Amino acid sequence: MSDTRWLALYLPHISTDRLIRAGRAPSDDRPFAVYTKEKGAFQLKGVDARASKLGLSLAMSLADARAMQPTLEAVEAEPEEDARALDNIAAWCERFTPIVVLDPPEGLFLDISGCAHLFDGEESLRAEIVTRLRAQGFGARAAIASTPGAAWAFARHRKMRAPIDDDAKSLAALPIEALRLDGDASALMRRLGLKTVSQIAAAPRSSFTARAGERAMLRLDQALGRAAEVLTPRRPAPMVFALRRFLEPIFTSDVILQVTEDLCGDAAEKLERRGAGIVYAELVLFGVDGRDRVVAVNVSRPLREVKPLMRLFREKLSIAAENFDAQFGFEAARLDVVRLAPIEERARTLVSVEEAAASSEQIGGIIDILSSRLGAKRVVRPNLHDEHAPERASGWRAALGKCDDMKAVRPPADGVLRRPVRLFSPAQIIEVMASVPDGPPIRFRWRRVMRDVVRAEGPERISGDWQRHEMTRDYYRVEDRHGRRYWLYREGLYGESEAIPRWFVHGLFA
Amino acid sequence: MSPRPASFSVLKEQVREPGFAGMAVAMAGQPLHEIGPAGAGFEAAALGFTLALAASWAGPAGVFWAGEDAAFAEEGAPYPVGLAQYGLALDRLIVARAKKREDALWAAEQALAATGAIVICALGGQGKPLDLKASRRLLLFAERHRSRCLLLMPASGPSAAWTRWRIAAAESNAAADELGPPAFRAELTRNRSGQAGSAFTLDWNAHERSFVERVQEKHVAVFHAQARQA
Repeated sequence: MSDTRWLALYLPHISTDRLIRAGRAPSDDRPFAVYTKEKGAFQLKGVDARASKLGLSLAMSLADARAMQPTLEAVEAEPEEDARALDNIAAWCERFTPIVVLDPPEGLFLDISGCAHLFDGEESLRAEIVTRLRAQGFGARAAIASTPGAAWAFARHRKMRAPIDDDAKSLAALPIEALRLDGDASALMRRLGLKTVSQIAAAPRSSFTARAGERAMLRLDQALGRAAEVLTPRRPAPMVFALRRFLEPIFTSDVILQVTEDLCGDAAEKLERRGAGIVYAELVLFGVDGRDRVVAVNVSRPLREVKPLMRLFREKLSIAAENFDAQFGFEAARLDVVRLAPIEERARTLVSVEEAAASSEQIGGIIDILSSRLGAKRVVRPNLHDEHAPERASGWRAALGKCDDMKAVRPPADGVLRRPVRLFSPAQIIEVMASVPDGPPIRFRWRRVMRDVVRAEGPERISGDWQRHEMTRDYYRVEDRHGRRYWLYREGLYGESEAIPRWFVHGLFA
Repeated sequence: MSPRPASFSVLKEQVREPGFAGMAVAMAGQPLHEIGPAGAGFEAAALGFTLALAASWAGPAGVFWAGEDAAFAEEGAPYPVGLAQYGLALDRLIVARAKKREDALWAAEQALAATGAIVICALGGQGKPLDLKASRRLLLFAERHRSRCLLLMPASGPSAAWTRWRIAAAESNAAADELGPPAFRAELTRNRSGQAGSAFTLDWNAHERSFVERVQEKHVAVFHAQARQA
């Protein structure tokens, strides 16, 4: 059996606990429940601990429950709000492990493989989660086992508090409902006389032809680790992560930086074994206030050395720290390597002392550091597209990330520069005072200044994309009496319509 | 009109004043230069001169263009197709845009750490002129990493720059009704290694990535001076 360890969390009263926490439940001693309308009848959907003790359960209709307990207070269920509460709890649980799986309506799975030692062992991790959820007003039960199925069963159906030594043996004693079957299936099993897990385990497999039986067998196999079960974590599981928790909350940026450096070191060790480096990583700081703060770094080429990583984090943290608002401090921090890429191990060539030009590593490092402070969208490389329209013929893309080779563009040999170095987007409308028919303007006004055209070349006709309802444009390169050069165009063919054609300046030649 | 063949007196004149070619060689060895428009409306010309210097100096480390948003917004966005025609290698060009002036200067300093890089630091017209300390920092970064910085900004105060240029556009050097190559009237208003005050009329040959100085006006000046003597 593999060494994965799962913690199943069971929040039996989440829908009522949520309302009680929000102050929307009766404040006196009355039992409390939520209901929904199902098939024309009001059905209990959640009961609080008190109602549960008085014998009210989810199987009851609201009318029956009221007959049993006339003091019962009930409000309509809000399943979306309950789901949001469960998701919030899941997010909070990510301080214990990055892999948290939602198991609605009232459960979570936490993959705690390799995490428990950070919390003084499994039992104290389990106890910490349960105690802290209770302190926040959520009744919770939790159990740990080698499979999600077994942990689920123990969290809900095991009465004994003794530690579990043997998943299979402990499971056998549990009722049939512990196998995560739907209500109808477990009712069918009970009608067949199968009341406990051990009876299913002992029954000959061939006799289970009914779908319910097959389902029960699969659930049993999953609980015992004999069949695989694929769960989807709430957030994509990082490829590699490093986690630290603190005995005392940490506040100062110096300490945060120190912790970040430790985490980078931990992650680098794991990455070295994989021969990989970080491409995208998130530093998650878990606040004592229950909120987490995420600081992400993007790297242009896979990186594993702590020093350059810290340069990026220091830059990011110095900006992010202003918005941390962490007056209660942080209790844990985790570095998630969300994307990694193999590092090609190259023989280090001797570099001459007089290194003439920056290496591509050095340039990559500069791109990283610029992107981390200014934002990836603000550090860009040019990009050429195979498009006719001038505004779509080229663009800019983030310099971070893979750099595909751009074909070298040589300046035209005839020395005529047909495109401006700056382009207005959108083109700016100009007022043409005089022009020859089907020719360039003689005078035009732009930015409230009149400009006399002394030289002009054109037209260069660029037809518009009819799918975009663009008109044909006639472009002219013109020069005013001060030598300033403009890229102008007239919209539409001359004489195409009755309307006076509009003129624009699209760019400036330098 | 084609330039006249150089006569003896013109040659003598050129020996005494090295002209722009000599100036360009001296400039290329210095880490920080400052460039601005000669007046309102010549921002594009100042940028053109800056880009031309960057294109003629650029090596394998390429060109970083770090600027304030204000320096990019007013005169339109850098246009890759046009930049390539102007002589810049697109595969070795990185543009970094910053919201604030401090960030633009910071970005330029970071980029200057790339050995041999050409870094254009473009600042907007708003706010105070750059202080001496900031330009000294750029100078230090450039010296340390053997990179070069072209500081493009409209207003100017005291500065650590080696040279300061005021750039206007110049009329096309071409047949009537044709546009010639990019042309500048470049005035050297500050020169730490020599005399300031000279002005040059230059055409930019993007294909050769070099400036061509128009000597025509000097001819006129020299001949005029001789005529007066006579």
